[in-house]
Amino acid sequence: MGLICILLPIIGGIWLLYKKRQTYFVRLVLLLHVLLTGILLFLPDTSWVVWKLTDQLNIVLKTDGLSRIFLAMVSLIWLVVSVYAQDYLEHDENPIRFFAFYLLTLGGLTGLCLAGNFMTLYLFFEAMSLLSVPLVLHTMTREAVAAALKYLIYSIAGASMALIGFFILLHYGSIEFAAGGTLSAAVISEHRDILLAGALFTVVGFGTKAGIFPMHSWLPTAHPVAPAPASAVLSGVITKAGIFAVIRVVYYQFGVELIAGSWVQYVWIILSLISVLMGSTLAFKEQILKKRLAYSSVSQLSYILFGLGTLTPTGFVGAVLHVVCHSVIKNGLFLGAGAVIHQTHKTKVRELDGIGKVMPVTMTCFTICALALVGIPPSGGFVSKWNLIAGSLESGLGLISWLGPVILLVSAVLTAGYLLGISVQAFITGKDKNGAAAGQEVSGRMRNSQMLLAFLAVVLGVFSGPLISYLETIAGGLF
Amino acid sequence: MGENLFTNYYEAASVILFGVGFTCLLLSKNLIKKFIGLNIMDTAIYLFLTAKGYIAGRVPLMDADSVRDPELYINPLPSGLVLTGIVVSVSVTAFSLALVLKLYQTYHTLDLDEVLTKAKKEEE
Amino acid sequence: MDFACNFPFFSIMLLMFTGIISMIAGPRPAKILSLAALGISTVLSALLIAYINQTGESFIYMMGHFPAPFGNEISAGMFEAVMAFGICGVAFLSLWGNGASTKTDIPEKKRNLYYIMMDMLMASLLVLIYTNDIFTAYVFVELNTIAACAIVMSKPGGETIAATIRYLIMSLLGSGLFLLGISLIYALTGHLLMPNMHEIIIELVHNSNYTLPLIVIVGLFGVSMAIKSALFPFHSWLPDAHGSATTASSAVLSGLVLKGYIILLIKLFFRVFSLDILKEFHISDVLLVLGLLGMIMGSVKAIKETNIKRMIAYSSVAQIGYIFMGIGMDITIGLVAAVFQILVHMVTKPMLFTAAGGLINVSGHKKDFESLQGSAWKDPLAGVSFIVGSLSMIGIPLFAGFIVKYYLAAAAFDTSKNTLIILAVLVLSTVLNALYYVPAISKIYHRDEASKFNWQDVLRTIGAVGDFPYQASLIIFIILNIILGTCSGPVFQALEMGLDMLG
Repeated sequence: MGLICILLPIIGGIWLLYKKRQTYFVRLVLLLHVLLTGILLFLPDTSWVVWKLTDQLNIVLKTDGLSRIFLAMVSLIWLVVSVYAQDYLEHDENPIRFFAFYLLTLGGLTGLCLAGNFMTLYLFFEAMSLLSVPLVLHTMTREAVAAALKYLIYSIAGASMALIGFFILLHYGSIEFAAGGTLSAAVISEHRDILLAGALFTVVGFGTKAGIFPMHSWLPTAHPVAPAPASAVLSGVITKAGIFAVIRVVYYQFGVELIAGSWVQYVWIILSLISVLMGSTLAFKEQILKKRLAYSSVSQLSYILFGLGTLTPTGFVGAVLHVVCHSVIKNGLFLGAGAVIHQTHKTKVRELDGIGKVMPVTMTCFTICALALVGIPPSGGFVSKWNLIAGSLESGLGLISWLGPVILLVSAVLTAGYLLGISVQAFITGKDKNGAAAGQEVSGRMRNSQMLLAFLAVVLGVFSGPLISYLETIAGGLF
Repeated sequence: MGENLFTNYYEAASVILFGVGFTCLLLSKNLIKKFIGLNIMDTAIYLFLTAKGYIAGRVPLMDADSVRDPELYINPLPSGLVLTGIVVSVSVTAFSLALVLKLYQTYHTLDLDEVLTKAKKEEE
Repeated sequence: MDFACNFPFFSIMLLMFTGIISMIAGPRPAKILSLAALGISTVLSALLIAYINQTGESFIYMMGHFPAPFGNEISAGMFEAVMAFGICGVAFLSLWGNGASTKTDIPEKKRNLYYIMMDMLMASLLVLIYTNDIFTAYVFVELNTIAACAIVMSKPGGETIAATIRYLIMSLLGSGLFLLGISLIYALTGHLLMPNMHEIIIELVHNSNYTLPLIVIVGLFGVSMAIKSALFPFHSWLPDAHGSATTASSAVLSGLVLKGYIILLIKLFFRVFSLDILKEFHISDVLLVLGLLGMIMGSVKAIKETNIKRMIAYSSVAQIGYIFMGIGMDITIGLVAAVFQILVHMVTKPMLFTAAGGLINVSGHKKDFESLQGSAWKDPLAGVSFIVGSLSMIGIPLFAGFIVKYYLAAAAFDTSKNTLIILAVLVLSTVLNALYYVPAISKIYHRDEASKFNWQDVLRTIGAVGDFPYQASLIIFIILNIILGTCSGPVFQALEMGLDMLG
């Protein structure tokens, strides 16, 4: 069953390359995908060996709580953004190639969510990185090509670092995912150093996809240069693939026992805090709108990595909650930015005075998402940050557990500054000037998809209860 | 160790000869001299190998039919090996000299550095 | 003795006679004879694999009328049979697929001589694989050198001759050292047949006699084969030779000739000196370090290259580093991993060279990346094979290169040498490989923003460019790579069995 979910978009994507028009085909495939994954979500946990590469390496597909959450998120968002992309790429010269690789990347991501062991995870991680490169390349300008190369090389570098962890785990434990870790206590005490080194390499390696410092510099280069729907999914969903991989490896393989309290945890937390602060600061100063959103991603993703690094149940819950919220929110923000650029061709923030007058729907959705991200109650952003801070205080890491929340709060203030500043400029400042008056509101599909995402952002916050309890069940098995 | 060197003077000589050939190979600019160096190196190894067959106080095996007592003769196998080696060396030298001739016809110089520079320029 | 035991002898003799007969044949008959001989040898090797699988042991085949220890012998086990199969098969595909470019590069009068040299090269490679006698190995090493140099210089032009001379000089240096090693080992053991030498060496080591000469011998063998198979730092001849030769020659040289010497080295290390004895001599430490350095330096130099063939040649230096790293680990499982890498590289590198040849052909015979921009759209099959080869070299799962890294890493944990450094270099080389293959792919697929793009046209072009052998050989190479990447289990077991039989 899981295999069908993976193969459907892949075959769809390849088929699309042969067709001339893509309008209904893409939506059909994605609707089917959402339906199938929906069914999958309600089936019980299963595991299935697809292929044996060698005696020890299998390709295994598995569903469990964590994969359900990520799968649902990926599937839904992919559909929503595709609706937006339909209109955005109406006058593009090459929509088929875009949608083909869009579908193919979905296939890779589905495989990633359904991965049952490290080998499968690595396979789909690399596949997804490779397949998403044409999305960055789409416009074929010089910068796009350079950005795509940078993205690819950073991806491969990150995956290679994770490979060290893979080899170490293969030898000392097993590569299957088991809640709570697969390393026995005896192995941990004997080979602690090499296991810790492997853990660090894996976290930083997969964290590259999520923009952890120091492997973050590809993000602000690659995300802005892609077309808006691609930036949205790159920032909103594909980066979460890195986070998913980190969760799988740390919580389901190395195990919390090994890392809690060790130097690896300290390094992890410190790196994520640095990224949080650095991302927010750079976003604050950045004038190009999409780049500002990209830096914001760096910052927000490191919130999530921080939460995971606290190695506490509350931190875990906060982190995964933020994954879902940030995904929805960031997609909304990028779609809004894309709408503005599409209509006015203005890419810089200071040129956006008064845009709220002519594009009210877009900017309202943008503002709603921004407020949710900053963490105004009762939005999802608030709940997740609350959990993150609680988790940090619980983690017992001494100075860091106090420093963490401080930095998170400072960053929240900066976030308000750089996101709400745009909204303010759009609505309030511009009432007297006529700077960006040119341009009109975006049409149906683009508008509807943005509204849907903004709505979801609010819903996730208000009705976060069920999601939180589901996450707490998952977290229970891991500690 | 000094005595060993003295008793095994063939082997010592062959190593010195090898060194001479190697230096010639490394330091000469002229291609033909390089191949002469290679030849000297090969010859040195043949000397070494032949010396391995020598047993003091015995004679080489000349006539297979009139063998009376194996104790009288040196070990003939290394000599056979050296013969093969000499054949190999001759054919390789012939091949290399043909190459040098071809090179001279193309570039009109026998200096390897000049040849490489000209070849690079040609590529561009 | 079953009939199948004659197969190694048959393949060798067949190739030699084909070479001799081709002297009076024209270019087309010479090519057909070569391909036929190679094809038959491949089939014979496959049958041999089946036979050995059935009997489960290796056999010794007497050459001539004198039994051991006075005569000459061929020994064939699973290892030798698999290697022979690989070599004959890949040679067939390379020669067949690149027939068109051979026709353009080599003038008609000389073409039959080219095929003669190929036959001789293949025959000598097979001898190196099968022989049990060390002096036969030396003679055919020399034959190998001459034939290899001949196929490099067969393309007219000063560049190839200069490259050949460098190759020849380095090779002869290696051969000289090899002969010196043979003289020493003959002096110590009095035997030329490998199993007999092994018995005496066990005795000598047991009594701690002659330890220093034994170390020197192992060192000489190691260094001489390292020079001939382009281990860092003896690799300087490789980019010139492989970069300037015609495509079929580059493919055969990179894929097969280098491996022949390494196979000989493995046989010497395993059969004459067993691995336990070797551990005490610490020569493998040196090989390990040089292998690690080669993995890094080969890739670093490749990054700077603007000529596609030279870039692929430098990549070979890096890949040979993997093999020596496996050998240097001093454990059987490391050797099996190294041999697996030999197989994988044998299948991947000729594919890369053939694809590069195709790309060069559609770009007006220019080799630098500036002229190659966009060539992958003109020859899509070459582009796809280049991508498959690059992904395999980088180490993406589902391709053969990843499995190699997996086996080498698994072996790294069992070795007594420093595991973390080996893993780190393995991973670093992955990134370095990406650093030059990815820009290469991006350049060959480069398109201006303005040009229209139509997938249907691209798909139609696939069938149009290049003749059938070229397309077929590329497709077969791709399939082989993916098979080695996904179904490597049986192959690995066969190699393990082979190395067991080798000792």
